[in-house]
Amino acid sequence: MNQTATKPHRDTIVCEQAEILCHDAFEGEQYILRIQAPEIARRALAGSFVHIQCDPSLPMRRPISIMRVDAKAGWVELLYKVFGHGTALLAKRQVGEQLDLFGPIGVPFVIHENKTRPLLIGGGVGIPPMIFVADELKTQKQYTPFVIMGSEVPFPFKSKPSTVIVPGQPDGVIGCMPLLEDWGIASRLTSKQGYPGCFDGYVTDLAKHYLDALNDEQRQEVEIFSCGPTVMLEAVAKLAKEYELPCQVSLEEHMACAVGGCAGCVVEVKTENGPAMKRVCVDGPVFDAYSVF
Amino acid sequence: MGTNNNKLAINFCGMDFQTPLVLLSGCVGFGEEYTRVQGFSHSDIGAVCLKGTTLEARLGNAPHRICETPSGMINAIGLQNPGTKHVIETILPELDFSETRFIANLSGSTVEEYAEVARLFDDSPIDAMEINISCPNVKEGGVAFGNDPDMSARVVEACRKVTQKPLITKLSPNQTDIAENARRCIESGTDGFAVINTLMGMAIDIEVRKPIIGNNQGGLSGPAIKPIALLKVHQVYQVCKNHNIPIIGQGGITSANDAIEFLIAGASGIGIGTALFYDPLICPKINQGISDYLDAHNLNSVSELIGTLELN
Repeated sequence: MNQTATKPHRDTIVCEQAEILCHDAFEGEQYILRIQAPEIARRALAGSFVHIQCDPSLPMRRPISIMRVDAKAGWVELLYKVFGHGTALLAKRQVGEQLDLFGPIGVPFVIHENKTRPLLIGGGVGIPPMIFVADELKTQKQYTPFVIMGSEVPFPFKSKPSTVIVPGQPDGVIGCMPLLEDWGIASRLTSKQGYPGCFDGYVTDLAKHYLDALNDEQRQEVEIFSCGPTVMLEAVAKLAKEYELPCQVSLEEHMACAVGGCAGCVVEVKTENGPAMKRVCVDGPVFDAYSVF
Repeated sequence: MGTNNNKLAINFCGMDFQTPLVLLSGCVGFGEEYTRVQGFSHSDIGAVCLKGTTLEARLGNAPHRICETPSGMINAIGLQNPGTKHVIETILPELDFSETRFIANLSGSTVEEYAEVARLFDDSPIDAMEINISCPNVKEGGVAFGNDPDMSARVVEACRKVTQKPLITKLSPNQTDIAENARRCIESGTDGFAVINTLMGMAIDIEVRKPIIGNNQGGLSGPAIKPIALLKVHQVYQVCKNHNIPIIGQGGITSANDAIEFLIAGASGIGIGTALFYDPLICPKINQGISDYLDAHNLNSVSELIGTLELN
């Protein structure tokens, strides 16, 4: 009997030895890493992550969100920031070297048909999954997404003035991500560092400007997707509650196995039966914000 | 089986293991989790020890539950589990017992709780039970029992009274005389041992001057503890060899060479835990390495290697 026929979770994660195709450094110890991992590229969805052996000397792997994939060319692109020992060693890996990783892992973001104004909010290294969601939306013309990205270190791309008009944007808030602009998706940037063209404030403040500029009918069409630091996600969840909007958040936590075996990466969620500990790796990383915050 | 080699088959407490490899409790959930990984197969392993199970459901400890340390990691999960009834009624029916052996891990806060969990599992398809008297991450029970030979013996005795299924006692390294504890557990009716559980440890975030682990302390595993585990297996084997009591050797095993060391020291089963986090497909590689070693040394069976250590 085919095992996977009765156990659909089986064989959903693939181990690959992936050649590093590009590994570019940006200010603030940020890196964009492109690797040749065709099976993962073929299977990944927005919200999926990979578990990487940053260096063979480390006993544990590091989970990193997928930013983009090209299923046809077989590459996977990641954005990460050096945060500790593991990512510092990853940053030293050179183009042409092989990276040991497995994926794609996790419950992805779900885009709903009746929510045609997805509001994507990414902070810092929480930006990549938002790019992936935008990538999935770009060919679906019924959607009018808006992406807000916040960072307190320079963005890992050169922003440019947007030509797409977005409701409610304060004067001078014109900086956007060129890749999204090329896809025909509106984006704006926020920072407290005074970067040109950026909104001087938090992602949630700019989101309020946007939501307040929509009429009631338009607001009914909004669903929030978010990834970033926990404090930011908490603020995003508060915003969603204030405007009574559905909201999906992608979480992170220290992780060992990344396949649901060790229960090391749990987050407390509210359920009908009271509090429960859910694994970020396979029960998430995407959760309903209302169950977490 | 990945290596298709019955030289690796062993008998452990009356159970047929297709290889000596045993996936360790707490690393592999309730048995199905690693099958998510393409290429992973239960046919590469002798048995799977399920997550520690208490009578009632437990939420476990607050995050962070794990952190990396030099050549290892610290964990403090705190026995998160859905309770014995749920495991027996909902999880066990989903396991395919034709693929490998499944071993329940009994945990509790009192002797009576251990016995009740054992009694409930006795009336289930589970192949064997591991008595976890060495969990370092709960306030009551666990290692508090495991570090006291009298209490260890009482737990084993209470479980023995309610089941004829094989009982494997998981010993703590956090005690003065592990061999004495083993002797007492044998007298109380254990059929086998798992040696060792994790060592208690701590890691500190120097920026906030707080422990990284939510529970403040946790269990250290991984290659860092391998030499300690090997010595403990050797010490327990000295007690076990005259009673025909087998040992699952465990603690930092990440290669066939590590596994072979444990077999020579007296282990019959080879526990794989933290190594899976490093390489989820490590089991067939270890099997192949053991098989190659047996061939190179003209040994017909892994059993011929067990306890063959010659001291200087």
